[in-house]
Amino acid sequence: MSEYGLRPGSAQVQSAGPITFGPAGILFLADNGSARVFAVDVADPGPAAGPEPFDLADVDVRIGSYLGCEADQVDIRDMAVHPESHNVYLSVQRGRGDAGKAVLVRIGVPDGTVSDVPLGEVLVAEAAIGDAPAEDDERQDITIPTGEQGEEVTYGGRTIRIMRRPIRTSTVTDMVYLDGDPGSLLVAGLSNEEFSSRLRRIPFPFGGGVTASSLEIFHVSHGKWETAAPIRTFVAYDGGDSILASYTCTPVVHFPLASLAPGTKAVGRTVAELGAMNQPLDMVSFADQGEEYLLVANTSHGLIKIAARDINGQAPLTTPREPVGVPRERKDLQGITRLANLNGGYVLALQADEEGRRQLRSLKTSSL
Amino acid sequence: MSPAGALGIAWSHVGGADCVRVSGLVLTATGADVQVRPAAASCEFPAMAGRLVPDGNDVCFVPRFPFVEGTSYAIVVAGGTAGVLTRPRPERLATTGVLTIYPTAAEVPRNLLRFYIWFSAPMSEGYAAEHVRLVGAADNHPMTGALLLTDSELWSADRRRLTVLLDPARIKRGLVGQRQVGYPFRRGAPFRVVVDDGFRDALGRPLRGAADRGYAVGADERRRVDPGAWTICAPPARTRQPLDVGFDRPLDHGLLARCLHVTGPDGQPVAGLRAPGPEERSWRLTPRQPWASGAHQLIVDPVLEDLAGNSVSRVFDRDLARPDDEPRQARPVGVTFNPSV
Repeated sequence: MSEYGLRPGSAQVQSAGPITFGPAGILFLADNGSARVFAVDVADPGPAAGPEPFDLADVDVRIGSYLGCEADQVDIRDMAVHPESHNVYLSVQRGRGDAGKAVLVRIGVPDGTVSDVPLGEVLVAEAAIGDAPAEDDERQDITIPTGEQGEEVTYGGRTIRIMRRPIRTSTVTDMVYLDGDPGSLLVAGLSNEEFSSRLRRIPFPFGGGVTASSLEIFHVSHGKWETAAPIRTFVAYDGGDSILASYTCTPVVHFPLASLAPGTKAVGRTVAELGAMNQPLDMVSFADQGEEYLLVANTSHGLIKIAARDINGQAPLTTPREPVGVPRERKDLQGITRLANLNGGYVLALQADEEGRRQLRSLKTSSL
Repeated sequence: MSPAGALGIAWSHVGGADCVRVSGLVLTATGADVQVRPAAASCEFPAMAGRLVPDGNDVCFVPRFPFVEGTSYAIVVAGGTAGVLTRPRPERLATTGVLTIYPTAAEVPRNLLRFYIWFSAPMSEGYAAEHVRLVGAADNHPMTGALLLTDSELWSADRRRLTVLLDPARIKRGLVGQRQVGYPFRRGAPFRVVVDDGFRDALGRPLRGAADRGYAVGADERRRVDPGAWTICAPPARTRQPLDVGFDRPLDHGLLARCLHVTGPDGQPVAGLRAPGPEERSWRLTPRQPWASGAHQLIVDPVLEDLAGNSVSRVFDRDLARPDDEPRQARPVGVTFNPSV
C-alpha cells in the first residue's frame, strides 16, 4: 500500500459520509465532520467471489445488534461492494449527537456475517476537501471541549482549552474514482453557504498540500435557462469518458469528462428530469449483452433505467413538454436508497420496505 | 464457564470501562459463553461486539461501542437469557433553544432560497426533516414539499447553525418541479418557518421551546447582486467612525459575514469590527485604527448572494435571451471610497 501513499495510522471519521472503492481494494471515505477524504486499506479477508446473488433481510437490525443499538440508531449513509470478494461495506453513523460515531461496517458475502473495519488502526492517507474556510474567514465558533481537543489560550492570566470550529462547511454528496496515472477521485459537494455546483478532482495517490482542483458546472433547461446547482449523485460510464450527474433540482445531465478542466466553464447537456417533488439518491452503471445501462434511485418513483446509447444520442432538452428527455423505464422497485455493482450479473440494492426495515437485495441485470 | 444456580447481572465497570458484570458462573474448560444484544434483536442476529474480561470470580462484557442510554440489552449465558438490563437515561433539563432564524427581513422574495437557524448549543443530526417546517400564516397549514430536507443536513462544524434550503426545483424556471407544482410561496401570502421543540440537541434533549419567524412575500428577485448600486457613507479621515454600506436589497446572512473586506490606500486590509445591519440590508466596519486619507476599496467576494441565490457573478437561473445576465468572471469586485478630509 506504500505505493499509494498509505501509512499506518488512524482514520478519525467524525461524521460518516459517502464511500467508494479505488485501486487495490482501497476504500475512499468522506468525513462530513472534518471535510476530509480518507483512503483506507480495508484489508478485506475474503477470497474472490463468484457470480451468485446475495440477499440479506433486516440489515439495520443486524447491524444494530452488532453495534449494540436499536435499528433506528443505525444511519446507513452509503454502500460499496469490494471488487474482488464482493463483501459489502456500509458507511454507518451509529447513534446521534455527541453519542454518534462513524463506523465502517463489513457484511460478509455469502454468509452475511457482520464485522467492522477498525478505523483507529489502518493503513491510511487523507486529503482535505477544497472548501475549507478561507484564511481570512474569521468566523469560528469557539467552544470549550470536554476532552483534550482544541488549543490552550490564556485570558487575563488564566489558561483554558478552547476549540475553534469553522462555520462554513462542505458536505460530500457523492464520490467517483477514475482509474488513470494518476487516478482521480471526483467529489461532489453541497456548501452550507453559497449555492454552487462545484466538482472537485483530487489526484490519487494524494499529494501533499493542496491537491484538489475544482470547477463550477452549469446545466441548461429547455434551451432557455442556465443554472448552477449542487450535484446530488453521479456516475462515470462509457469507460470513464462520460459523467451522468443528477442535481438536487432533479435534471439528469451528461458531461464529457474532458470538459471538466479547471478554469473553464463546463455546461452539461440535460438529458432527463426526474419529475416534481423528487430527489435523486444514487446511480450505478452496468452492462448487459454488450450494452451499458444506468440505474437511478430516487425518492418518489421506482428505479429508473436509462440506456447509455440513448444518452449519447439525445439532443439537449429544449421543449418543456412531458415526458421529456431520454427514453427510460421505470421499474416497480420502491424504497431503494443505495445501489452498487455486486458482480457482472447483479446490482446490489439497499431497499426499505413499507415499515422502514432495510434489506440488501440482488437485482439480476438481465431482468432489469 | 457455565451457569450455576442464580446468576447475577449488573451494570458495572472494569479497568475504567463500562461493562455488564456477570457473577455466579462456574468455570469450565471451554471458557465463558456470554453474549449481549439489544433486547429488540432476537438471537438470530449478531452478538454485540465486545470482549469478555475476567474480574475476580466474575466475567465482565466490555462493549466495542458504548451502551446507548435508554436501550435495553439481553444478556445471554450459555444460550439462555440470563436477564435484561436497561441502560439508565439521566433526567436532563431542556436548556437549548433557537437563538435566531435568518433572514431577519420582514419581507422575502417569492424565490427565497434558504434559511439559517442558529441554536444556543450543539445539536444532533437527523431531526431537521421532521422538526423544521413552513406553515401558512393565515391557516397554520404545513406547506409540504417546500423545503429541501435531504439526508445531507447542512451544519456548521460545531452543529450550532443549520442551513435549510427551499427546494430549488420549485424555484428555478423551466424545471419540471416549478412547472408542475409551482413556487412554494405566493406573493402577498405570509408564512412562518417553525422549529418545534422535538428537535434534539447533541445530548439528546428536546429544545426548551419551539421557535418561529414570520415573513411577508414580495416579488421575485432575479438580478445579479450589484455593488455599484450600494450606498457607501464614507467616514471622516483620522477618526474611528464606522464605514456604513447600504444595500439595495437584503443579502444572505451567512455569506455577508465573510464576503466583504476593506483595504486602505496601501492595499493592506483595514482591521476592525465587521457587523451586518438590520434585516441584512447594510454592513458596518468600525476600524481599529483611525481611517487614513486617500482611496480605500470595499472588496466584494463574487460569491456574495442575495436571499434568492443571485450572486455578484451570476443570476440564480439565467434567461439565455438576456445577454446582460451572462455569468461574470469570478473575481472580487472593488468599490472605491475616500474618507472625507
